[in-house]
Amino acid sequence: MSSSIGSREAILGKIRHATGNGAADIAGSYAALERKYVRAGGLAVEERLALMVERLREYDAEVLEASPDSLPDAIRAMLDASGRRVFVAPAGLPAEWLVEGFDWKIDHELTTSEIEKTDGVVTASFCGIADSGTIVLHHSAAEGRRVISLLPDWHLCVLKASDVVETLPEYFARCAEPPELATYISGPSATADIEMTRIKGVHGPRFLNVIVVRDEAT
Amino acid sequence: MNHPVVERHPILDPEKAAPFPAAAFQILRNTQLRKNVAHATDVIQEKRDRLVAEKADWQELRSAGSALRMHLLENLGHYLEQFEERCTATGGVVHWAKDAAEARAIILEILRQEHATEVIKIKTMTSAEIQLNPAIEAAGMKAFETDLAEIILQLGEDEPSHIVVPALHVNRTQVREIFARRMNRPELTDDPKELTGAARTFLREKFLRVPTAISGANFLVAETGSVVIVESEGNGRMCLTLPRTMITLAGIEKVVPRFQDLEIMLQVLARSATGERMNPYSSLWTGVTPGDGPQRFHVVLLDNGRSDILARGRERQTLKCIRCGACQNTCPVYRQTGGHAYGSVYGGPIGAILTPQLMHLEHAQTLPYASSLCGACYDVCPVKINIPEVLIDLRAKVTDKEREEERRFFDPMYLGMIIANFFFASAARFRFAQKMGRLGLRLFTRKDGWIHYLPSIGARWTMTRDLRGLPDQTFREWWAGRNAGRGKEGR
Repeated sequence: MSSSIGSREAILGKIRHATGNGAADIAGSYAALERKYVRAGGLAVEERLALMVERLREYDAEVLEASPDSLPDAIRAMLDASGRRVFVAPAGLPAEWLVEGFDWKIDHELTTSEIEKTDGVVTASFCGIADSGTIVLHHSAAEGRRVISLLPDWHLCVLKASDVVETLPEYFARCAEPPELATYISGPSATADIEMTRIKGVHGPRFLNVIVVRDEAT
Repeated sequence: MNHPVVERHPILDPEKAAPFPAAAFQILRNTQLRKNVAHATDVIQEKRDRLVAEKADWQELRSAGSALRMHLLENLGHYLEQFEERCTATGGVVHWAKDAAEARAIILEILRQEHATEVIKIKTMTSAEIQLNPAIEAAGMKAFETDLAEIILQLGEDEPSHIVVPALHVNRTQVREIFARRMNRPELTDDPKELTGAARTFLREKFLRVPTAISGANFLVAETGSVVIVESEGNGRMCLTLPRTMITLAGIEKVVPRFQDLEIMLQVLARSATGERMNPYSSLWTGVTPGDGPQRFHVVLLDNGRSDILARGRERQTLKCIRCGACQNTCPVYRQTGGHAYGSVYGGPIGAILTPQLMHLEHAQTLPYASSLCGACYDVCPVKINIPEVLIDLRAKVTDKEREEERRFFDPMYLGMIIANFFFASAARFRFAQKMGRLGLRLFTRKDGWIHYLPSIGARWTMTRDLRGLPDQTFREWWAGRNAGRGKEGR
């Protein structure tokens, strides 16, 4: 926009005038910043998983544990218990997770209204953060586009036990590269805007379900 | 006694708003509003305190957050250019706006290019700062707020009174009345669950239909060109996933250097803002991702007075603010008045320092005095902004500025100070003034030794509190007499 080209120079000029040229060695001054907070938790594996499950349940999420072999059975049990039939699946969801007996809509560029008509969604996850009970999606092929874990009212998320970290800084340490897209889910959609009364389910999925898979590392 | 209160649309434009004492005086008579504000701030504070107490490294997180934000401000030009470069490389378009008028013009121009007739909005205080909604309406388009609190305000023709929980001054009965009238749902009860459900239905269709959205930003990541939004309801995710076009409006100070820095900011923000370990949803996106989310993406970087604050020594720290609202919840002044008295979208302690500076001290000069300097805001600030220090500095600046104005010669306070200066400057004059004062006040002192009523400007004191009458002797007179007495005894 032509009007803002002059403004860009004007704003940056004022900033430079105010700050001088900043630190001569910006990278060095950044590296020297004090970070004395807890960067890694101290819980043993079992305690860490127990904390993750406890936090999820505090958010009213349904949680099941499964072994890699029993995962399809666990998925079927959760889908059955939901009483729902039509589910969206990301294009990259492992084939053995698409258990029989349900109507699967694989997300090959499904339209918004097609997604809106389904009953729920099943996705993988990037990792879990036990301290805050957070599920992290980086929207890979098995985690799916953002819209599919948003519109359906019911979300089942599969979380590998080896992907559960204790603290938020440990999640950042696991990211070799910063993600282009990320969604951090800490409980179902909620509001407290009316008299600070917590109400579940405003716009996002009202039901969050998690299966923790005890894989090789645990 | 509950005075009838004239319902007026609150004015949150510092250029037009009443001075803080006048606005606060009106609001203090609204007992319902005070009750609503006290309840909400109590609840958030209690949750916040509990979650901060469980965090053993809270002070280390504050220190790290403070140092990081200061480093960012000292090198702001570098990081903004880096953000612009990365955001552009990933498909975004970056605009720069000197002031509110330019930001409005840029956004309206984008909306025109999109042939937009409607736009959905994620809660953004920066949009309220630049008065965006009235400009959109004036251009013949419709803006729909999608955050529950913002819907309550928009439908109720009200204004935000808190940075994080903007409708905390409205109770469920009032929400029910607004929704019943404006959504045409007379059957609604005042059950918060039912009211929330009504908002869900009201908005669902708009999320699926309106192709243009406007958001604010909690953080911009310079390293990657990403934008981060934290929220609770999912309306943000709807707005940043479903539309074709997204416009993000962000103050230039919203940048953090690197993705990893979010490990500090996200930990302190949720605990301070809503008393949660983590807010239900946080979203991060980077430019345009083919096949996922809006395919056209604009970022408007807003200065609007911020670079001037950057140039001031002690006041620079104002820009460290991450808008958590913790200072509002803890402030003994805000807890009585709520946010509207501050005449700006930014109320409470942070507003008392931010608004006058954004206005170059031309407006909102009473705000630095809207504080008891108790320091509670500094204690809770997750990035350690020393708000009392800045308040005192701004008070000095306001006084310096007033000294240059001609109208000071008609200001009773200023004239009083000149006269006081004359009498305080010499011991003889001071003693004389004490005598005259004692004589004069004797007229108003009742038998109980208290002054219950003073005329003229003295009434400003006595209308709310009684004043002790002056004693018959000053301390010096008493001391002199006492020595004389002892001398006699010794003889």
